[in-house]
Amino acid sequence: MNGAVSRQCQGLGPLSPIPDPRSPTSLDDLLRHPGLWRAREQGGAALRPGLPTGFASLDRCLPGAGWPLQGLVEILTDRNGIGELSLLMPVLARLCGGEHEDGWLAWISPPHQPYAPALAACGIDLRRVLVIRGQAAEWAMEQALRSGACSAVLGWAVCRDRQSLRRLQLAAEQSRCLAVLFRRLRDGSEPSPAVLRIALDGDRDGLEVRILKSRGGHAVSVRLGWASFATRAIAQ
Amino acid sequence: MSLPGKHRVPPEVSPSPSPASRRSRLRPALGGGNRSGTGEPARSAAPAGELWLAIHLPDYILESLCQPVAAAGEAAAGDDAGHVVVVDPGRGGKVVCACGVTATAAGVAPGMALNSALALLPDARVLARDSRRERTLLETVAVMALDFTPRVNLDPPDGVLLEVRGSLRLFGGVRPLCARVGERLRARGLVPRIALTPTRLASLWFARSGIEVALRRPEALAGRLAALPLACTRWPERSLRSLATMGVRAVGDCLRLPRDGFTRRFELQMRLDLDRALGHAPDPCVAFVPGERFAARRDLEPELADTARLQRACEPLLDELCAFLQARGASVESLELRFLHRDAPPTRLRLRFAEPVTAAARIAALLRERLARAEWPEPVRSVRLRSGPLSEARAQPGDLFALDRGRASAVPQLVERLRARLGEEAVHGLCLVPEHRPEAAWEKGDILLFQSSGKGECPLFPSQRPVWLLAEPQRLEGEEQPRYQGALELKEGPERIESGWWDGRDVRRDYYVARTPAGVRVWIFRERRTPGGWFLHGVFG
Repeated sequence: MNGAVSRQCQGLGPLSPIPDPRSPTSLDDLLRHPGLWRAREQGGAALRPGLPTGFASLDRCLPGAGWPLQGLVEILTDRNGIGELSLLMPVLARLCGGEHEDGWLAWISPPHQPYAPALAACGIDLRRVLVIRGQAAEWAMEQALRSGACSAVLGWAVCRDRQSLRRLQLAAEQSRCLAVLFRRLRDGSEPSPAVLRIALDGDRDGLEVRILKSRGGHAVSVRLGWASFATRAIAQ
Repeated sequence: MSLPGKHRVPPEVSPSPSPASRRSRLRPALGGGNRSGTGEPARSAAPAGELWLAIHLPDYILESLCQPVAAAGEAAAGDDAGHVVVVDPGRGGKVVCACGVTATAAGVAPGMALNSALALLPDARVLARDSRRERTLLETVAVMALDFTPRVNLDPPDGVLLEVRGSLRLFGGVRPLCARVGERLRARGLVPRIALTPTRLASLWFARSGIEVALRRPEALAGRLAALPLACTRWPERSLRSLATMGVRAVGDCLRLPRDGFTRRFELQMRLDLDRALGHAPDPCVAFVPGERFAARRDLEPELADTARLQRACEPLLDELCAFLQARGASVESLELRFLHRDAPPTRLRLRFAEPVTAAARIAALLRERLARAEWPEPVRSVRLRSGPLSEARAQPGDLFALDRGRASAVPQLVERLRARLGEEAVHGLCLVPEHRPEAAWEKGDILLFQSSGKGECPLFPSQRPVWLLAEPQRLEGEEQPRYQGALELKEGPERIESGWWDGRDVRRDYYVARTPAGVRVWIFRERRTPGGWFLHGVFG
């Protein structure tokens, strides 16, 4: 046993290339060295804790006990306004509202104008809100994810081909932010590389949250009564 | 940037001996008192310890017209530049004033009639001399020289002088410094002659003669200058001819002439030049002050229409710009690129940055986005780059724990990249307006401006506001019972919002929160003015 360990140690050469002491470097650069193995970066998405959604029943169904921060989240719904944003508001307020956070919130080609007073009332810091319109929504979303400037990116992109979805997923995996892509319900039948896919449907009593795909979790369905949203609004 | 001071001595205080005192002596020679024993002319007037590096560009006419094309087309460009014959349109355009390598090999020489040159080399490219571009070339060299020393003078049309005494230690001595300067110039495709001596004129004369010396001791000057032909002084042609008839052909011959006789027969300037070259008289000169904006051009040969190649063609201009910025510790917020075509009007691209920038890579990244979007009516034959106003550069602090620094600093880059591709209007922020009418309670804001403003305090409304607001209220069916995706169920309300007579957008509405059968919460209002009716104004989302 000992022999095996020592052989392994000999096999590990010195960390090379040795960083030039004169060049400006940061600890982050050193930690990016391929020879370093960091335990917390290993394992699947399931092991990484997510951000609490603010709805206890939904948290219980998600593998990271909340929204995954590494990877694309797809929210599928045919009706704008069914409650998709109310579902996200608690986490957005937490990511882009607190005094200590400096993350930006990007809205990429939203279907309507995000209304500033409502966002402010939910606790989002308007100074860090970015609204992006234009043709190339997928490209803009990828840029926003890759820039590292945003802590949450909400996109309403069509994503007709799998390749653009794949690119978004890769960008979302590398960024440390909440990446949400809103699509139509019919897109749910097509495969997608997203980490989490949620279909939303509602009626007069509440919101039906169907988890279609959840890496490291199960496909289940949760029902959130409108009352739980209402209490949240009052608490805010 | 320039160091006014000891080298700016007014010219009239030259310590030439008075005629009366000179006459009483035994005809001192021009060369100074070291040999003749007279003290006065030998007194060194040059500030102690100056060292001047002269850059002379023998082929400046050709180099100003034919800039080397990117490395890919090196061979082609070399061939092409060789066939060039330059004429001076100011003198009728019939006489060759410079020519390329191939042309020289074919027997073409400056001073030859253009027709003779064409007879020798029928496929020659005839170009017209352009004094503005020659000046630009010289200034480009001077700007580059500012990397080596803050004291730079121009000697138009083909010389640049650098006072490098203070820079020797930094660059590791005289030889490495000369080598570095030469290397930089050759990298730009120029062929320089470089000489270094303790006086400006001596350096220039050596450089013009093509003798690349590095002399540090002023005592050695007279001896080394003696061998130079007088043509390097660029004295008037008539004076040089009469000197030649006297058998005076080199600087050394001139230095042996008696001082007073020489002064009487020739221009005062000539005697002064000799004194200055030897360091006996002060040599005031005007320091080169670089322009406050950067402007450069690059001719493309052949004409380009391909975006990727255009990008590559622009990169040397960007590098030049960045060297220019670096020399001043400055940064730019905007740039203008003009692409000239043969017939169509020039295509303009304006690059605007979200914050002042200095890095070439960042400018190139933005340029790539803009070039990809640009439409070219015709191939591009020339690119001009002009910077906007300069501002002081802010250095980026380095940080060992650079873990969390990325977010805020990445925003301006993201914004400018998005704007470059999607347009200025495509990216905006949000801010609150203290206003009771819902549609007027917000406005678009410039993201980067209101980062600094205080956090807008959260307004208090009697009821909730929707996350989505429709640009225009949408009329709903139904008189008493409004319908939107089915019969609406009124949940909250009414909230009455009224008046606005001061700007002509008066409103009188009763707002309700309603829910559709599918569970969508909407914000609707009943118009209280005639003809009334229900309208959808927002969706809660």
